Amino acid sequence: MKTTVLQKSLKEGINTVSRAVGKSTTLPVLKNILIKVKDNFLNISSTDLEMGVKWWVLTKTEKKGEITVPFSTISSFVNLLPEKNIDLQLKDNKLTINCEGYKTQINGVSSEEFPIIPEVKKDKSISINSRLFCEGLMQVIDIPSPSKVKPEISGVLFLFSGKQLKMVATDSYRLTEKTVNLENSVKSDFSFILPQRTAREIVNIFKEENKNVDIFFNSNQILFELKMDEVDHPKTQVSSKLIEGNYPDYKEIIPSKYETQVVLNKDEFLNKIKAASVFSGKINEVTLKIDTKKGELLVKSENPDLGDYNANIKAKLEGDDVSISFNYKFLLDGLNNIKSSQVLLGVNGESNPGVIKPIGKDDFLYVVMPIKNN
Amino acid sequence: MDKTKLWQTVLAQLKTNISEASFNTWFKNTKIESIENKSVTISVPNSFVKEWLENKYNKIILKTIKSIEGDIKQINYTINNNTPVKEKEEKTNFNQMNIQELVVDQETGLNPKYEFDNFIIGPFNELAHAAAYAVAENPGSVYNPFFVYGKTGLGKTHLLQALGNKIKEKKKVKYIQAQKFISGIVSGIRNGTIEDFKKQYKNIDVLIIDDIQFLSGKEKTQEEFFHAFNELYEKNKQIILSSDRPPKSINALTDRLRSRFEGGMIADINYPDTETRVAILKTKAQEKNFYLNNDVLYYIAENVQKNIREMEGVLNKLIIYQKINKGDLDLNSAKKILGNVFKSPVASVSINKIIKAVADFYDINEKEIISSSRKKEVVKPRSVIIYVTRKELEYSFPFIGKKIGGRDHTTVMHSYNKIEKELETNEETKEEISLIKQSILSM
Repeated sequence: MKTTVLQKSLKEGINTVSRAVGKSTTLPVLKNILIKVKDNFLNISSTDLEMGVKWWVLTKTEKKGEITVPFSTISSFVNLLPEKNIDLQLKDNKLTINCEGYKTQINGVSSEEFPIIPEVKKDKSISINSRLFCEGLMQVIDIPSPSKVKPEISGVLFLFSGKQLKMVATDSYRLTEKTVNLENSVKSDFSFILPQRTAREIVNIFKEENKNVDIFFNSNQILFELKMDEVDHPKTQVSSKLIEGNYPDYKEIIPSKYETQVVLNKDEFLNKIKAASVFSGKINEVTLKIDTKKGELLVKSENPDLGDYNANIKAKLEGDDVSISFNYKFLLDGLNNIKSSQVLLGVNGESNPGVIKPIGKDDFLYVVMPIKNN
Repeated sequence: MDKTKLWQTVLAQLKTNISEASFNTWFKNTKIESIENKSVTISVPNSFVKEWLENKYNKIILKTIKSIEGDIKQINYTINNNTPVKEKEEKTNFNQMNIQELVVDQETGLNPKYEFDNFIIGPFNELAHAAAYAVAENPGSVYNPFFVYGKTGLGKTHLLQALGNKIKEKKKVKYIQAQKFISGIVSGIRNGTIEDFKKQYKNIDVLIIDDIQFLSGKEKTQEEFFHAFNELYEKNKQIILSSDRPPKSINALTDRLRSRFEGGMIADINYPDTETRVAILKTKAQEKNFYLNNDVLYYIAENVQKNIREMEGVLNKLIIYQKINKGDLDLNSAKKILGNVFKSPVASVSINKIIKAVADFYDINEKEIISSSRKKEVVKPRSVIIYVTRKELEYSFPFIGKKIGGRDHTTVMHSYNKIEKELETNEETKEEISLIKQSILSM
């Protein structure tokens, strides 16, 4: 292997694949990254056997070859190099790096040992703007939590239907649904469940780009691909296993009407809940009391050691009076992901799920279960 | 050689040729799925393993298998993804409600948290438990239908769900609340999808319906249920039912259904004794990683006698208190916290409440009861009102007579005596009165 690459490019590549470098000690080669030089491309890949990342850059190939080297070593070293050309050369499983007087040899492990990152047949595909996709995904990404009983809900559901993509996540205490509009409608509806970890890394890797990401998948594997600007060749590929199984019929959970409905200023609501959280004690309980006669929403919390807190918010209220308690963290998680200035809070009694959604835009919905009143 | 043994032999041989790290990474959770037509299908946990075995180890695996089973020509790999998910430690507080639809298994309707292992047995539920266990071992053949009854909050649902969870590995189980069953039929009729609804119940091995007393008075639902019941019963499929009262005390239940309910095994769950209540509390506290000393446990057990669910509510209250205040909880502080709960006024009974409860129970008009009618349907409820009023409120006979349509005190006394006599001989009346008393208290 012999090639020359810009330090900036190599750094970008190592940084991109860092997301999937394995931490496990069972197979030490997973802590390495695979560097391949072939047909005018330098290719770097990493995997932890759940997901894999591949990255390419155009380079002049003087001699082809491939090797794996420890990620931490090459990453620390390349970061310290000046922004100049780097010469890479391979000899007897040792990778020589030359750059402006810096010279090093890194001991590598044969590429034969490195896992093969599964390919996905590129027949079923969908293309979506990466920024739109990542921004939507960020609004739901923190919700799922690993569940032994229902592995399906430990991931994010992607539901493509018509001209819409719905991303759904739940941890069985709350559920959120984000709707993203697609440029073109899909031919037939389809869905898949992406592991939360992959979803996070997708956001990390693609959020800065403002180009289209192509998505290919089969029943158990998915591939996200970003093309190079210069030539028709992938620049970054992230592949991951999918979570098998059927996502619960989540639409049943979303209430269709509310006995009590409140329209509030989001920032005021957010701040008053944050203040209430100071007094909410260990169980994070904040009580919302809706008084339609007075036309206000009362935010209450109390802690036998610290004291108590009361705040009222003037709001547009409709329906029955109710007093309902929530975990303030759950309320904040919902409100923080809403971008509009006004929000709607819908409640059906003290022991049924409440709904928070933006006013004026119908693209986000947050369902949250209350805490039982004693 | 059978496939498990064959794969074991192959793995044993491969292990000597491959480094331990690779072996553990690539051969964990693999097995032979099937052997047919000279080809072996190996199931692997994910596509990484599939790629790796296909590309790197295929030759050596084939060679090893061939050395044992000579005629194998080919190996296929299939992904069978059922590796368990690591669960984060549960930090959320137990009063936080969760979305039920997401916790229960959608196919069976069962909540996996209910098991036989965490079902506490005492003299009050021994029979029901033993019968349930027998049913779980041999569904469809021992007690069919299996009917459990007992008052609310005593663990009927727990028993039924545990039973379902035990069978679900082997058989197709469907658990449903009677209310859901009814609303399924109602919306099926409305939307013309009743056939789809019925189909769901055709191919199951075990049908569990909870709170079957809600079928009372729903004739169309009873009819549909009757057909479903017969169809399953004829095929020796297990049917399990629960109710808050025995079949003969469920009102407005068609006779043919009642006799079917009574055709199998009927087991009741009574009130637990103090020792059992303490044992239950201990287990519940343990489940929540919470320690309570015996004095406190007995204090709760003695004050909440008739409802396990209520006992759990009290326990939760103490846990919250302890979480906020830290430190151990002694009897005195428990008394302080719970004093209000236990002292809360007993629901007051009034003659109007009694009349209403009785009228509701027998499904007749309140006015009709105090009218001068002597129809049989009215006379019995009227006597029951007299009996209950006398027993509960200790009113004088003339006063009771005045209250129910200005009747003479001798008439009232006669009715009272009649019921009292009946109670000695007639189980049904006894059951009815106890149910009525209960409904008065819950008004």
